[in-house]
Amino acid sequence: MKRLTLTLCLASTLTTAPLMAASTNSSHNPGTDYRRQWHSDILTGYQSLATQSQTLAKQAEAYCQAPSPEAFEQAKQAWLEAFLAWQKVRFVDFGPVEQDNRAWQFQFWPDPKNLVARKASYLLKDDAPITPEKISESGVAVQGFPMAEYLLYDQAFNNSERALPADHTCKLLAAVTRHIADNGETLAHDWKAFQNNYIGSDQYTDTTIRAAMAGLEILEERRLATPMGLRGNGKRSVYSADAWRSEASLIAADASVQGLNQHFLPAFSKLLKDRGQASLAENIDQQFNEVLANFPELDRPMAPLLADDKAFRSLQNLYIDVTQLTALVNDRAAVELGVVRGFNSSDGD
Amino acid sequence: MKTMFRLAPLALTIAVLTSAGCANTTSSDSASSEPATKTSVVEHYADVAHAGYEDALITAKALDKATDRLISNPTEANMKAAKEAWLAARVPYQQTEVFRFGNAVVDDWEGQLNAWPLDEGLIDYVQADDYQYELGNAGATANIIESENINVGGETLNVSNLTPELLAGLNEIGGSEANVASGYHAIEFLLWGQDLHGFELGNGERPVSDYATGADCTNGNCNRRGEYLDAVTDLLVSDLEWMVAQWAPGGSDNYRSQLMNADANEGVQKMLFGMGSLSLGELAGERMKVALEANSYEDEHDCFSDNTHNSHYYNGQGIQNVYTGTYRRVDGSLVTGPSLSDLVEQSNPELDARLNAQLDASMKALGVMKAKAESSQNPMPFDMMIAPGNAKGASVVNGAIMALVEQTGSIEKAARQLGLEALSPDDAGHSF
Repeated sequence: MKRLTLTLCLASTLTTAPLMAASTNSSHNPGTDYRRQWHSDILTGYQSLATQSQTLAKQAEAYCQAPSPEAFEQAKQAWLEAFLAWQKVRFVDFGPVEQDNRAWQFQFWPDPKNLVARKASYLLKDDAPITPEKISESGVAVQGFPMAEYLLYDQAFNNSERALPADHTCKLLAAVTRHIADNGETLAHDWKAFQNNYIGSDQYTDTTIRAAMAGLEILEERRLATPMGLRGNGKRSVYSADAWRSEASLIAADASVQGLNQHFLPAFSKLLKDRGQASLAENIDQQFNEVLANFPELDRPMAPLLADDKAFRSLQNLYIDVTQLTALVNDRAAVELGVVRGFNSSDGD
Repeated sequence: MKTMFRLAPLALTIAVLTSAGCANTTSSDSASSEPATKTSVVEHYADVAHAGYEDALITAKALDKATDRLISNPTEANMKAAKEAWLAARVPYQQTEVFRFGNAVVDDWEGQLNAWPLDEGLIDYVQADDYQYELGNAGATANIIESENINVGGETLNVSNLTPELLAGLNEIGGSEANVASGYHAIEFLLWGQDLHGFELGNGERPVSDYATGADCTNGNCNRRGEYLDAVTDLLVSDLEWMVAQWAPGGSDNYRSQLMNADANEGVQKMLFGMGSLSLGELAGERMKVALEANSYEDEHDCFSDNTHNSHYYNGQGIQNVYTGTYRRVDGSLVTGPSLSDLVEQSNPELDARLNAQLDASMKALGVMKAKAESSQNPMPFDMMIAPGNAKGASVVNGAIMALVEQTGSIEKAARQLGLEALSPDDAGHSF
């Protein structure tokens, strides 16, 4: 039941800290170098999210204006590309993405009570106009990728009379994808504006490392172990995975690891090496490759892998690789670097 | 619900920090007694827990009696009395939730009493078109009251004899956490019924005739419904009896004796861990922020009775109780003794004052929520506060969330002040 994207983290109290290091410390502070690189690497990820989200909104609109099987496939493809762009930067849980619960707006998850379906039926029930304002006030379960995924992929919904390209449903799809696109653009813009604050504040080094640690933990625990039945009641269930409707749970995991590899690891490696941890940096680098070597072979729907014990083994292999990566980053590296974590928003049940 | 293995960051491990000066510092305001020590503080913590569970038991017994009366004589007055007994039983119980986090003996046990959210269609009839259950839950519409046998995910179970043991065994059948057959919320559902009002004012409207005999019985199976209610309230009482015994003084093989035999630092760690976890992740996060940001009354805690504001309020009170070592019992008497507040004050009076002020501020914010929900003029219960577009309601909920977030920051500082360091490596779960 935990949504680890909850941005109540105490780290947020640090965002109010003034620009410290840059002005007070005239001697060279290597921290600023790492943060400069992180800022730039994450910006690349956010820009890609912004671009892909724009494409999604355009494809959705194009499909609704002239519905065809091809246009429908294109809209789905655009959804997937944008969703994967989000997966790559999903680990960033601080800074502008904290404003207005943007992370939840992009992806409200987990959703065990199927709130997405309930909200969709609520919005489509009456034929009241679907406006941007309506989307803005309808809560995070309406505002992001899972809602667009529901409209595009849900089997039961696609067999109902409300299925796309029904007029009202099209309006909802257009409004939701527009909301995603606007958020993508704002986020990239705000991240740029955040540059001086981020680079100038020493605390953001630890904050960034903690974000990657949390991202790995969520991947290992919530996105893999839980649907695999390794936690809690031991039941395998694809519904505990994210993006099960589009069967993109594993390709999304692939994207999240790639995202950490591209947008987090370069500066982190440098930092470890500078602190005399070259061999640990090397190990982490190798372990990223180990995890990524499971793909694209494993860019497949998760449900069949859960249903068949033999196929399940490939999932176990991925899980073991991810576990080892998490152990290296969250336990060994964090300890070497003295990154301390306190209460966080996932402490509940 | 289930404790998954604790994630690394949750482990507040103890840094051995010799704080020789601490114990010798004179405590300013508890002049009459010895200065608080970690040992005396942990011991008093067990006293507060014991008193809390005793109160939960006392009020659960009253609830059991009231439901017995309802079952044997289903009148409006007896229904009302049973509901009032349920509401009264929640007051002490919610204050004990702070003992959950950190004390495995509580966390492993509490699912049977307070699991939530539940798929109520497992238990009794529901209105199908307004019932959203957990995805993939094969037991979500099993309806135990209607059936002698239920089939959950291919497994057939005989449920003809509704005993407390049977209900306890049905929890999480089919592997779904939402299959909750027992505890406060199951009882709540049996008294109030489904809340079909959505974001509108109003809670569940189960007619008392659901317990009537013969031709007056509504919605069928009234006898079985009565048997269920009887068994589930009996189970609640025996579960609480067990927990009271775990915290009772003088025992040699109960949980309290384990706690007292362990290093006092461990006890202090559990206290602060429980306060911080309930404060931030559970209450501010899971129970308020999720419900608010998703406008989801499915995520409302006491959704059948619309008593959610009180659940939140007394959760907050429980956090404050642990810090101040003070607990107001249901009979009005006051439990006091050496507290975390005393300990922190010895070495950092400023931090102690700040945390106390923040705990007061949280209670004030939760008090605003309670007052709004219970207002006789224009009540706004929690499920209305979280409705889309209700800016006023959202600001009430957000006020409580922010206050809890702030106090959690000071709880962390208090942990450090007392020599407990938040360190990440807890690799128990990582060995493969």
